[in-house]
Amino acid sequence: MEKMLEIKKLEVSFRPAVGESVKILRGVNLSVGKNESLALAGESGSGKTVTARAVMKLLPNNMNFEKGEILIRDRNVMNLKEQEFRKIRGKDVSMIFQEPSSYLNPVFTAGSQVLEAVKGDGPGRKERTIKLLNEVGLKENVFYQYPHQLSGGMQQRVMIAMALINNPGLLIADEPTTALDVTTAYGIVELLKEMMEKHGLSMLFITHDISLAVNFANMIAVMYAGRIVELAGAGEILNSPLHPYTEMLVSCLPEKYKSGDKIKTIEGKVPDFRDLPKGCSFHPRCPYKKEICLREEPGEMKRGEGIVRCFKYGDFVEA
Amino acid sequence: MKKFLKRLKHANRISFISLWFLLFLYLIAFLADFISPYPYDLQNREYALCPPTAPRVFHDGRVSLRPFVYGIEIVNPAFQEYAADTSRIYPIRLFAKGTERTLAGFLKTDRYLFGTGDEGKIFLFGTDLHGRDVFSRVLHGARISLSIGIIGVSISFILGLLVGGVSGYFGGKTDVFLMRMVEIIMMFPFFYLMLALRAAFPPNLSSVQVYFLIVVILSLIGWASLARIIRGMVLSLKEEEYVLAARSLGLSSFRVITRHILPGTFSYTVTALTLSVPGYILGESALSLLGLGIQEPYPSWGNMLSVTVGNLRILTGAPWMMIPGLFIFLTVIAFNFLGDGIRNVADPKNW
Ligand SMILES: Nc1ncnc2c1ncn2[C@@H]1O[C@H](COP(=O)(O)OP(=O)(O)OP(=O)(O)O)[C@@H](O)[C@H]1O
Ligand code: SF4
Ligand SMILES: [Mg+2]
Repeated sequence: MEKMLEIKKLEVSFRPAVGESVKILRGVNLSVGKNESLALAGESGSGKTVTARAVMKLLPNNMNFEKGEILIRDRNVMNLKEQEFRKIRGKDVSMIFQEPSSYLNPVFTAGSQVLEAVKGDGPGRKERTIKLLNEVGLKENVFYQYPHQLSGGMQQRVMIAMALINNPGLLIADEPTTALDVTTAYGIVELLKEMMEKHGLSMLFITHDISLAVNFANMIAVMYAGRIVELAGAGEILNSPLHPYTEMLVSCLPEKYKSGDKIKTIEGKVPDFRDLPKGCSFHPRCPYKKEICLREEPGEMKRGEGIVRCFKYGDFVEA
Repeated sequence: MKKFLKRLKHANRISFISLWFLLFLYLIAFLADFISPYPYDLQNREYALCPPTAPRVFHDGRVSLRPFVYGIEIVNPAFQEYAADTSRIYPIRLFAKGTERTLAGFLKTDRYLFGTGDEGKIFLFGTDLHGRDVFSRVLHGARISLSIGIIGVSISFILGLLVGGVSGYFGGKTDVFLMRMVEIIMMFPFFYLMLALRAAFPPNLSSVQVYFLIVVILSLIGWASLARIIRGMVLSLKEEEYVLAARSLGLSSFRVITRHILPGTFSYTVTALTLSVPGYILGESALSLLGLGIQEPYPSWGNMLSVTVGNLRILTGAPWMMIPGLFIFLTVIAFNFLGDGIRNVADPKNW
């Protein structure tokens, strides 16, 4: 089957103004099939946004690609020049962001910003824009309003319209609901599902909320410290998580505890990329750690449809 | 534009007034030929340094329907002493007859918008050393002084935005090269650079040539500092999230710079722009002062004022000769107020 997006062994490093460069992504493997949705879940600072920006080839200036491949519609785009890759943005892959308010330009009307995103000219651009605005649940007058006159939910809908105006095959949604309140967030999630259905969209849905991930996508990738530690179907993640980290995330879900229980949180902190623990980077927080975990890094092991990186499931060591 | 004016009126009355005042100045500069009662170079030798003649409506306790001026009596020609001769009355006529001149380059006419006909004289702002009507000369001088600012600022604005925008957005070697160039220009003191550039050209150019030369010189100096500041702003603006969003839509660099980055600098640039117009007006005056600017007999506010500098007799005896200075002052102030108002209004958060 055609893959909309495939990331192979992607490594990205951060070069601080002083000091040595630090690896942020350490061999990320991902793939999103046509019409599929993949959720990328993980704590704050695990490298989800960096992954998304790497796919858009819009890394911050102080970050570099080290190794790996990115394929969009089975085409390797790693060595494309900026000039050429620009044609892919918006047309094959689009992105929406966490804070809609700061991702819209405050000095232009919502409509003019969606209009601007239209690739190629030709008649009916404005009609198309208004039609799409309607489709994402906005009234026509939003076209003439400035971002600060819109609520967060409406702003995010404008962003979605901008991202979808050229019918891209793949949408990367980087925590699109984190900045919104629960009801508004629900509306956006429903809208995204509807758009997937209607436009035959594939989606890389980034979230730190495992329950949202499970609700949204059929496949879940769990990220920890710049690596995918588990990839599995939504049902497996929820009912039989393999990786100790996933297990912890799932056990913290509100559905999982009875009334009167104390709210659970994960012990420990997200590791610092400059000073990752030797061996499995999760071992300081892991209840199952063995002697080998302190020395070696676990490699990717196949488990059914997915993969897991943990010595509980074999002793395959990362090369 | 209408919305803009409304906001300006609402937000900042003084800058709204300034805007109209400036528009008014530009209008009279445009219509100078038509409005002024005398050609700018018409000399009345016998009336040198004549004080302003006041238009009047009262005579002998009676009101005259038509404003008039008294005749001017020459009391002492050696010391330029004049008095009003109340026995001679010259009504001010519309479309009065005068010396023939060409309007707008093709229309030959001897009619003036207003005047006193052949005998009487009407010097609203007095006359200069050669007996030329200061009022007419101020109107004509406004053309030079007001347009030099606008044209000069436009050129340095475009250069500054372009160089600053490219430099800040692309960074790297482009940035280093462009900024070193800017620094070289900025290293020279403004005044000497201006002189040196002017000196590179022959002194005996026609007024039109000098005019363009001055505009080009002033704007070639002016863009550098603007470019530098724009670059700094672009450096921070390009990290704005909406710039990232715009790039994620696949917009070209040119579009991202011109539509998403440079507009963010507008509240600064528009202000800087209106505030730098006076610099051009004064720069022209400075060149004129040294005899390197617009040459007599063609007037500019700068060269009219330059006659008065250091001349005690004029300063004490003929203060009306400094009226061009008053106009420079008013224009500068008006541009400042306008710049201030635009800065408030240009920020969409205030809408
Ligand atoms: N522009 C940047 N400059 C330097 N370091 C950065 C930059 N952006 C991200 N990082 C670092 O890269 C790591 C991964 O960050 P990333 O933004 O991808 O996390 P995330 O998983 O998206 O978290 P969140 O849920 O908070 O959005 C973090 O340690 C962060 O400090
Ligand atoms: S490899 Fe070891 S430390 Fe890491 S998660 Fe698995 S059991 Fe825990
Ligand atoms: Mg993020």
